[in-house]
Amino acid sequence: MVPLARKTLVHEWRRFLPSALAVAFSGLLLLVQAALVFGIFNSSAVYIRKSGGELWLGYPGTQSIELGRPIPQQAEIAALMDPAVERVEPFNWIDGDWRGPADKGGVSVFVSGIDTRSDALMFADALTPALRALLDEPDGVIVDRADLPKLGLDVGGQAVVNGHRVRIVGVGSGLRALGGVNIVTSLATSRRLDNGDSDGRVAYYVVKLRDGSDAAAVRQRLQPRGQARRFEVWTRDAFARRAVAYWMFETGAGLGVVLLAIVVFVVGALITSQTLMGAVAGSIREYATLHALGVGFARLRRVVLEQAAWVGAFGLVVGGVATALVVLLAHRRDVPVQLDLVTVAICATLVMGIALLSGLAAVRALRHADPALLLR
Amino acid sequence: MDATLVADALSKSFTTGAVRTDVLRDLSIEIAAGELTLVSGPSGCGKSTLLAILSGLLRPDGGRAFALGQDLARLEPAELERFRLQHTGFVFQGFNLFPALSALEQVMLPLGYLGLGDALARRRAGDALAEVGLGSRMQLRPAELSGGEKQRVAIARALAKEPQLLFADEPTSALDAANGQIVIDTLHRIARTHGATVLCVSHDPRLVGHADRVLAMEDGRILADRRVAASRSP
Repeated sequence: MVPLARKTLVHEWRRFLPSALAVAFSGLLLLVQAALVFGIFNSSAVYIRKSGGELWLGYPGTQSIELGRPIPQQAEIAALMDPAVERVEPFNWIDGDWRGPADKGGVSVFVSGIDTRSDALMFADALTPALRALLDEPDGVIVDRADLPKLGLDVGGQAVVNGHRVRIVGVGSGLRALGGVNIVTSLATSRRLDNGDSDGRVAYYVVKLRDGSDAAAVRQRLQPRGQARRFEVWTRDAFARRAVAYWMFETGAGLGVVLLAIVVFVVGALITSQTLMGAVAGSIREYATLHALGVGFARLRRVVLEQAAWVGAFGLVVGGVATALVVLLAHRRDVPVQLDLVTVAICATLVMGIALLSGLAAVRALRHADPALLLR
Repeated sequence: MDATLVADALSKSFTTGAVRTDVLRDLSIEIAAGELTLVSGPSGCGKSTLLAILSGLLRPDGGRAFALGQDLARLEPAELERFRLQHTGFVFQGFNLFPALSALEQVMLPLGYLGLGDALARRRAGDALAEVGLGSRMQLRPAELSGGEKQRVAIARALAKEPQLLFADEPTSALDAANGQIVIDTLHRIARTHGATVLCVSHDPRLVGHADRVLAMEDGRILADRRVAASRSP
């Protein structure tokens, strides 16, 4: 069988290039947008995911980690009394007003007060024991490397948080989150920065269970019942998902993303279908001749759809490579991006969908392949 | 001699806006295999419409059209396509070759749709191109061929299917005298050597001398039907 679709694509590549590029750009936009969205939204859960422990205790109904409120110490006691619980670690979360160099003005910060022991749960994956030990210095703080320019300071620099002087003792990475600058301190320092507003209470307790314990079952046991719940218990994954879902669905950002994806899809499909239709129209007399010779519309349709599929595949490859470059660049610049296989598969499906839908639209142009138009 | 194409009281009219034009008026004719039949007449006399109906590209308003004994009106569109695929070849005024394909591939293409394997299609296409005198130019694309050569590729494309019916619509209009001569001679030879029914429609007076039979048409009717005594043997 003469590969008409492919031969025509290669020979008339200039004609098909716009549609392939439209598909590639659609793919790039969809993928980069997804990478950014998941990167940014997952960064709202980054504190949870980068920490050890299986359960989180926090203020009832807390939707995302930065919305934490102080909870009573009885939460800690309740957890400690459960036989499956190995350790309970307080994690403090307070708002702060950072005053650094005069030219940077005030910066809203979130202060994370953590246990500084080398085997502590909070930020187990983000902070090395050595870095953690630096926080034992009174009023010492660690910030994300990428936030240094925003704060206008370097390691060793001093600033004032909530009226208390602090000093940057180290920098970490992966500490960035949504909504503001995050700084990490010891629990003691965080209590001082809190000005006693919380009466020594902290916002969260992170619970480590003994090996082999069923986290869901322990959660059930610890979860307070009745109207007067003063804290709530989540498994680590559930709390992380809550945070992502909050940013994705409750802030309106997720809807924006979906809308943008629809726009990308429609625009991509429009450009691609127009170009493919042009290609079909350009060969309409040849198609009409084949039709006169008895080649049915179904088979002609297949030629057009095959071209659309090739255009889609080419666009997918180009878009994929471009996305890889963008993601690489973003990683280097500490921009939170994240792509998993499922997302890539969904985007790839959408992109092929753009190409094939366009092909189906272009197939309609074949209706004009009437042999009668060849007769004088 | 059995007629392979039969028009029985065909009528056809087209409506453009409020104007209704009768293109064919109660036209009956029988066309035989093994010869080149030329339908000649001025533009708009209905000759192309006659060709379209007899080849199954168009349905008449009235009357019946038989091809190879088959009443074309009784065939479903898909059956009609199948009929055309198996039995008919077409040559049009425009050459309608795919720019991306070599001469050999142009000819092989319909054979693939006919269900022939690559090797057989290649051999048949090569034979057809050799028959129209393009054996040495099989690998060239349309852009590298002259107008006459392109039309010969189109003829080879129609011929390679080994159709019993070959329809040509103004095959020489876009060609100079020498190439026109080659094309009509080729069509004539196909009728003789392959025993095919060749129906050629043209207003080109140069072709009259090359046909076996000339039907003069005007206003949707056949005015004259004559055999050309001078028609040459292959």
